[in-house]
Amino acid sequence: MRKIFRKNIPRTAVAVILCGICSVAVINSQPSAEKSPANAHSKDDAKPMPVYGHWKNFTTKDGLPSDHAYCVRIDGNRVLVGTHEGLSVYEDGKWKTYTTKDGLAHNGVVSIDVSELTGDVWIGTFGGLNRWSAGKFETFTQLNSGLPNDLVYCVICDGKDVWAATAGGAGHYDTYTKAWEIFTEKNAPMHEPWTYGVSAGDGKIFIAAWGGGVIEYTTKTKKFKDYTDPDGEMEIDLLPDDGIVHDITTATSYADGILWVSTYFGMSRYDGSHWKGYFDHDSGLASNFINFIRAKGPVVFICSDKGLSSTDGKSWVTYKKNDNNNDGMAIIKNFGRNDDNTINKTTKEIPLSPSIAHNFIIGVDADKDVLWVATEKGVSRGELMK
Amino acid sequence: MKLNFRILAIVLLILSSISNITGQEKKQNYGKATDEIFPYQKFQKAYVYHFLVPLQFNGAGRELKPPSDLKEVRIGFLGPLEGSVIVSLGKQMLNGATLAIEEANKKGGYHNMPYKLMIHNDVGAWGAAANEVVKMDDEKVWAWLGSIDDIVSHVAIRATLKMEIPMVCTGDPDPTFTETNIPWVIRVISDDRQSSYALVNQIYKKDSHSRVAVIRANNRYGRVGIKIFSETATRVGHPIVIEEKFNDGETDFKTQVERILVTVPDAILIWGNAKESALILQQIRAIGLKQPVYGSDRMVSPEFLKIAGNLAEGIVTTCQYNPNADNPKLKAFQSNYFKRFGQEPDVFAAHAYDGMNIIIESIQKAGLNRVLIRDLLTDLKTFQGYQGVTGKIVFDDTWNDIGDIWMAEVHNGKFEFNPSPPMGTIHQTTKTGSY
Repeated sequence: MRKIFRKNIPRTAVAVILCGICSVAVINSQPSAEKSPANAHSKDDAKPMPVYGHWKNFTTKDGLPSDHAYCVRIDGNRVLVGTHEGLSVYEDGKWKTYTTKDGLAHNGVVSIDVSELTGDVWIGTFGGLNRWSAGKFETFTQLNSGLPNDLVYCVICDGKDVWAATAGGAGHYDTYTKAWEIFTEKNAPMHEPWTYGVSAGDGKIFIAAWGGGVIEYTTKTKKFKDYTDPDGEMEIDLLPDDGIVHDITTATSYADGILWVSTYFGMSRYDGSHWKGYFDHDSGLASNFINFIRAKGPVVFICSDKGLSSTDGKSWVTYKKNDNNNDGMAIIKNFGRNDDNTINKTTKEIPLSPSIAHNFIIGVDADKDVLWVATEKGVSRGELMK
Repeated sequence: MKLNFRILAIVLLILSSISNITGQEKKQNYGKATDEIFPYQKFQKAYVYHFLVPLQFNGAGRELKPPSDLKEVRIGFLGPLEGSVIVSLGKQMLNGATLAIEEANKKGGYHNMPYKLMIHNDVGAWGAAANEVVKMDDEKVWAWLGSIDDIVSHVAIRATLKMEIPMVCTGDPDPTFTETNIPWVIRVISDDRQSSYALVNQIYKKDSHSRVAVIRANNRYGRVGIKIFSETATRVGHPIVIEEKFNDGETDFKTQVERILVTVPDAILIWGNAKESALILQQIRAIGLKQPVYGSDRMVSPEFLKIAGNLAEGIVTTCQYNPNADNPKLKAFQSNYFKRFGQEPDVFAAHAYDGMNIIIESIQKAGLNRVLIRDLLTDLKTFQGYQGVTGKIVFDDTWNDIGDIWMAEVHNGKFEFNPSPPMGTIHQTTKTGSY
């Protein structure tokens, strides 16, 4: 048998076969994006990802107080934008700006949310928290209230409750009782009280704690649970899909029963039982450096330093501006499995003219057929392409 | 022969495709760690290795012109100047930065505009540093220097990222400071990762100990520093035998020292500020423990020598530079510093002097534009190998200073400094690896 083998099969072919077997083994030994249950869908059962085009960009020339925009929030027929030089409101085709002269705690506006109960606008600034109600700005600071710190990186409304993420802890304000609670490492499972993002959904609050992963707070039971990177090391991600990709978290967003978590090292998705990690080398993510995320239904919009990405966990759409002109493209990537279980990856590029204002994205909001994006060089509005 | 070459070529081809399949290959170990002490490296490759490529800042702002009505060029300073247990360190840091500013102004400042230091106190409380960075943004500083306490620095870097102000850290040795992937900060002082590696090498390899007891400050400085030491000690086969803690300002360490006593260690490591470390040393000796004692960098101070007295003899610590180096720049700095402030500069003064000179040089070269200043600070060319009064500054891909660590040993009431043993030999010399 050995002789027959030696005689009839060229050694080159043997080498190729052996190496092929080796490489297949290596492929199979790599924990893969497509192997996790969260992503184990065929191409056919995925709804098409929304793609936005017909972009219009706004800068100081159009009435913004600064091109450096930090956040954007759609509020019915108007759009609220936080910039380095004040709060701008876009309504009826015009921009109107509010600053400290109007009552803002600080001109640096980094986060905005609107209460569904009251319509009040809550504004996180470099110098405190504002409630904008009935045309008046009420200011909360660490000196006049229970706000943990004056630099409010993120504010959200959850029914009657308002949550603020600050470097001095997470603050919870009950608008009915007017009582504040502060959550730090002393009364919550945080390593440190540095919090930078917060989101809500299904009776839970999800706090992005810098160095501490995600802190989940169940409002009914007032119980905490934390999610951290299982390998516990800063310089590596040991295994994919084993938990949060890194403990330096920058934002959380929850929708459709899915928790999305961003970091400066990649992104994670949690469906309640399985974690899935995404990096720029194994997904359609534009970059691992993610400033902010916002989930709407099954889609999450990802603000990175190299463009705006969006995904439903399987398909990806990334918007990028060209370096040398105002045009750009939407890059669509689909990952799935074919009938023979092989990995299917397709890429399609749709030219955009113009494109988004800049590739360094800091804020995003979506509503029905429009997408608003806050960038370092202006604000962009895209329309859903039919 | 031809056939063999063909086989070899195919194997090489397949191997190269395997490296692509894994997605990301590491080119070197982060932090100058040997394979022996790199996390999980003995067991399996990681899916992703971070910090091997410097992160670029892809934002806007390089095109912005400086204001035309400037009368001074402002640089921020954040340090513990009042209300903190490390005020003496903060004042030395401020002095070092001030001396660099004064010398630059004597040379004409920036295009005949004086540099002005915008001084901010960090009170060491959670979150307070964020407010100070906001003030610096309001003051329109072009860059800033600080701080020492980890809790201050970590809060400050997130704010400096948001406000996009270049930051040069000259006093915080917390390894995780530059492990946050923020492309606006550099560190001009070796960190506790390097100090821990050096201590592990010294204690286990050079001095052949195997049972080390640890007593450390119950704060972030103590917790993070010892974390690296403890993990590294475990990886070379010597888990620490006990980890005791103490609070800043504590003076009675009887309970902790008695617990250490029963573990029968063959060496003791103290990780804390100078005063508490000296008091612990006294109480260690008073209870009868004669084992060699090692310490962290903050023990290298006149305060430690004064309190510890003769008991300090033979103590070995790490230090981020050699203050006795035969370096003309260092000698001139030490002389000028003494003339200006009437005291000897410490490690925080020397590194602040280097850090502020780097900021000034970056402004001189880049002009008044924060992004362009940042670009110069982080290009790993302009300041790579910078020869400062603290020696050669070597940045890694996270802009962390991974320059030489020095071992400081007390002889005749003074610290003497020697290069730390090379790390590459840790695994070859440990006696009782337990893997």
